[in-house]
Amino acid sequence: MTCEEFMDAAGGLTPSQLLRMRSAEDQPLVAHVGECGACREWLESHRVLGNALHALSASTAPLEASPKVEQMLLQAFRKQEFAPRAVELTQKAAKSLWTLSRFFEAGAYAAVAAALVVGVFLGARILRDQQNKTNRAPLQAVNAPQSNKAAAAAQNSEARTTAQAPQVATKAATSIASSAVAARKQSAQAAASQANSAENGGFVALMLCDPLICSGDEQVIRMELPASAVTGVDSSTTQTVLADVVIGDDGLIRRMRIVN
Amino acid sequence: MLAEQTDEQLLKMALDGDEEAFTALYRRRHGPIFRFALHMSGSLQVAEEVTQDVFLFLLQRGGDFDPERGALGAYLFGVARNYVRRAMEKSYTEATTTCTAEDDDSRLVTDFDPVRDIANSQLSVAVWKAVLSLPEHYREVVVLCDLQEQTYADAAQALGCAIGTIRSRLHRAHDILMKKLKNTAPSLIGFTGDAARCLS
Repeated sequence: MTCEEFMDAAGGLTPSQLLRMRSAEDQPLVAHVGECGACREWLESHRVLGNALHALSASTAPLEASPKVEQMLLQAFRKQEFAPRAVELTQKAAKSLWTLSRFFEAGAYAAVAAALVVGVFLGARILRDQQNKTNRAPLQAVNAPQSNKAAAAAQNSEARTTAQAPQVATKAATSIASSAVAARKQSAQAAASQANSAENGGFVALMLCDPLICSGDEQVIRMELPASAVTGVDSSTTQTVLADVVIGDDGLIRRMRIVN
Repeated sequence: MLAEQTDEQLLKMALDGDEEAFTALYRRRHGPIFRFALHMSGSLQVAEEVTQDVFLFLLQRGGDFDPERGALGAYLFGVARNYVRRAMEKSYTEATTTCTAEDDDSRLVTDFDPVRDIANSQLSVAVWKAVLSLPEHYREVVVLCDLQEQTYADAAQALGCAIGTIRSRLHRAHDILMKKLKNTAPSLIGFTGDAARCLS
């Protein structure tokens, strides 16, 4: 063993371990100390230091703080309001309760926000439904008297038909009678359509539309139409009529009225 | 019965208001704390103040102690170390102990005289003065490991550093002590050579 190896090994030992350096593991160290005077001197000096530190420790071991310190501490102990544990528990409980309350508060805010959103949505829906109803109601109120006129017109046409009947030959009596029945039906349909048109502000329904199905948005467009398309006769004329056409959201014409 | 309780159990009982448990804990632990403060400061008065402060701290903040982080004894040494530092900073001019290796022993001011009170050997006096003149971080490990006979692990916990740091500081502190003793009492220590230069 070299001196450097000895220093590496012995340097890691405490003074008390140097004092007890007698075991088999320490034999190389002991052997080197027997050969090297300088290392032996180092070891002895550190053993002396260990002895001195041990002696100093042993000599101060009986020393303690004076009884005054203990008395003062006991006074402080008695003055202290105990239940620090209870206080600690209370503080912990308060902290957890506060956390819980924050959680519920956040939940309450979320619930209120959700209720507001739902309320606004429902309100808008109800408002739209009411607007739809109010748009239809005046039309019904305005067109009610006109239905009487339409009924009267139908009766007149029936009377006219019956009045013309005596002027026709007796051979055609049965055909006249049947035509009278057909005319009555037509006049009834016309009266019904006029009643409907009266209900819709003069618009004539062009298609049978279930109100539950055709309740969507409608658009009124004013346009010029060939007169033949409106009257169904005299297709050779180029005369046009101005008409308001109601077109549903499906693109089909629901009603129309002639403006001039 | 209280003697069978561990430090941690006594502390818990004391914090629950058990005066006897607090007294038992104090009587069990105040000696090492007092001596640690005495060895660190060299002053009986500072040692008593530190002892008192440490147990007052334990009374007020003992709930912060976590047994999983180490023993109560090492925790108390750590608290005492902080109070010793404060006391020495406060009365630096009266108890100057943060000396370098070249400091003059005459600068050491201490009201504790090992010659008079405890040991009569000149070597003890020389060692005592040499220990007090060590830089603080070296003095701490010498006091804890050599004088208080704490394990490296407990010293590491008390000082808040690694065990390897304790080991290296202790080794260095012994070398400084030997150099000081060589200068102040070479005949007592029997040190005349320098082994480090021997490469045989």
